Amino acid sequence: MLLPFAVPGARLSAQLPRIAVERRLASQLGLRVGDTLRIGAVPDSLRERAVVAAVYEPRPDPAGVLRPDRYVRLHLPDLAALLGAPDRVDRFGVALVPGTDPARAAEALNRAAFGFRAFPSAAIAAESSQTFLVVSRFHRAIGVITVVAGAVFLLCIMLLKVEERRLDAAVMRFVGVRRRTIFAALLLEACLVAGVGSVLGAGLAVAAGAATNAYYQHLFQTRLVFSLVTPGIVGFSVALSLALGLGAGALAAWRLVRTSPMTLWGRA
Amino acid sequence: MAPVWTLRNLGRRPLRTALSLAGIAVASAMLLDMVMLSGGIERSFERLLLGRGFQVRVSPKGALPFDAEASIADADQVVARLRGDPDIAAAGPVLGGALYARTADSLATLFGYGIDPAAQSLYQVLSGRDLAPGDTLGILLSAPAAARLGAAPGDTLRIVGGLDPGIATAAVERRLVVRGMVRWLYDYRGQPSVGVLLPVMQRLVHAPDRVSLVAVRVREDAAVPGVVARLRATEPRLEVNSVAQLVVHFRERLVYFRQLSYILGTVSLIVTVLLVATLLTITVSERLGEIATLRAVGVPRARIVRQVLAEGLALTSIGTVIGIGLGIATARRLDAILTSFPGLPAALSFFVPEPRSLALAGAILLVAGSVAGLYPAWLAARAPIAATLRAEAT
Repeated sequence: MLLPFAVPGARLSAQLPRIAVERRLASQLGLRVGDTLRIGAVPDSLRERAVVAAVYEPRPDPAGVLRPDRYVRLHLPDLAALLGAPDRVDRFGVALVPGTDPARAAEALNRAAFGFRAFPSAAIAAESSQTFLVVSRFHRAIGVITVVAGAVFLLCIMLLKVEERRLDAAVMRFVGVRRRTIFAALLLEACLVAGVGSVLGAGLAVAAGAATNAYYQHLFQTRLVFSLVTPGIVGFSVALSLALGLGAGALAAWRLVRTSPMTLWGRA
Repeated sequence: MAPVWTLRNLGRRPLRTALSLAGIAVASAMLLDMVMLSGGIERSFERLLLGRGFQVRVSPKGALPFDAEASIADADQVVARLRGDPDIAAAGPVLGGALYARTADSLATLFGYGIDPAAQSLYQVLSGRDLAPGDTLGILLSAPAAARLGAAPGDTLRIVGGLDPGIATAAVERRLVVRGMVRWLYDYRGQPSVGVLLPVMQRLVHAPDRVSLVAVRVREDAAVPGVVARLRATEPRLEVNSVAQLVVHFRERLVYFRQLSYILGTVSLIVTVLLVATLLTITVSERLGEIATLRAVGVPRARIVRQVLAEGLALTSIGTVIGIGLGIATARRLDAILTSFPGLPAALSFFVPEPRSLALAGAILLVAGSVAGLYPAWLAARAPIAATLRAEAT
């Protein structure tokens, strides 16, 4: 554990270890380049001093967004000395010659020596992305419920919308308009309602996504994108609502044109 | 008479009513799930932490229990001071760390707890027996650990600690006899954990006189805030948190789920209101002639308004009852997804069905149903009698 404590007014010293401080931590502690800190491996032994050589912005990492941890970076020998673990590291990153298969390289390393274990970066990424897989599965399940709710809502609205035209349909039938024409007219109307609704819905989704991103980026002090409305998502939503709208409209229109005009007029 | 009339009116258009009920049921199921999600995880976490009656956790400064590898030094003195406090009934030190068990040709990695069985807050004994004070040869296993090692009470295990990966040599190895099978309350699903006496664990992981945390049981619940404040003043190098404060930390980390539940719950409510309002508005428009006739024969305006509002309430109530069943079923599925988070205690639940959640969701929906009926009720009340009857007659 590294706990930095600001020493106001301390002078920059070339002999002291130099550290880079994460922007959020620098902001919390009011640190600037050139400030001197007391640092230590445990809270009750902040005996070493270090100079802030840089304030850096870490790469956006979804894994760390909900963690309160803040980071500083030290040169490896400085950190090893601070921890009392000279000439030791937790892990190595190994860059392979282009064209080398990472899995086979890791296997070869594991066969060649003991005392460490080599993993391809892809395997580590798969392991560390388990949390996001769970979140993704949760979002998908919520998405299915939302789609079902939206579908029922749409079916209901389209049914009501078409039934609202009972009198118009009756009048058209009385003046000799063919059932097929009435059906087509009602279907076209349903199509228009579903289309306009879909476009409005897509616009609403984009606006809600922008608001979500602005809120969470501010809340977590990150540049991560939380809500992404892609053309694929818009296409799927519009296609689904059009299909449901047309289906519901067709069903309601079919029921309407099969009913006698007198019944529609309410005189049967 | 009025309820019969209400139901009969809704039954006039069975397809329309059925679709509306389906919509309200799905929306209310979603709302119920979101009400459960908004506070369920916190209640579940609180119950878990209070499960053994320890209301306070003491951990290294700047760290929450088992949140970092940091540990408390001079643990014996700290525990002695805690036990000397007249308001404290018990103080249970715990040291956590990696242990290994020798199997036929390799080492199995385990998570080890060093505990004081006289004041433990971490486990329940399932079979066999607990460790006795001074039983430095005993070990407790979780079911996943027993499965991994193929061990049962009475078996002897070779436990290795302080393993140096650089030279692959065990600094300490002990032969320990399995005394019992336990359920570790904070383990994630499938976690192979073992428990030994604290001094044994300290020797195994080279952490003399150190502990990861101390769980504290205060004699009176009302005294907890005072004890926490006092310990913070007297132990400045330690982090002292009551369970309530730990829940607040936990809530901050899970702010996303709470906000998601608010957003989706609001959307569900809006869908319900829109659905009921649309249905009632169109129904009222269709029945304006009937309403005008009723008004003409002397039925008061207030009764018409009550009737429309009653239809909205009836729709919402029936939809809500269906939605509660649907909501509980979907909550189980969603809970199964979220509790598969890596590293999360298996005993935690995100969706906790409680009478309070059900009542709150039901009350919100009934209010929403009433609000949704206001506009169509207003339409029905202001319909001009003569003009409407004339229009109906032509």
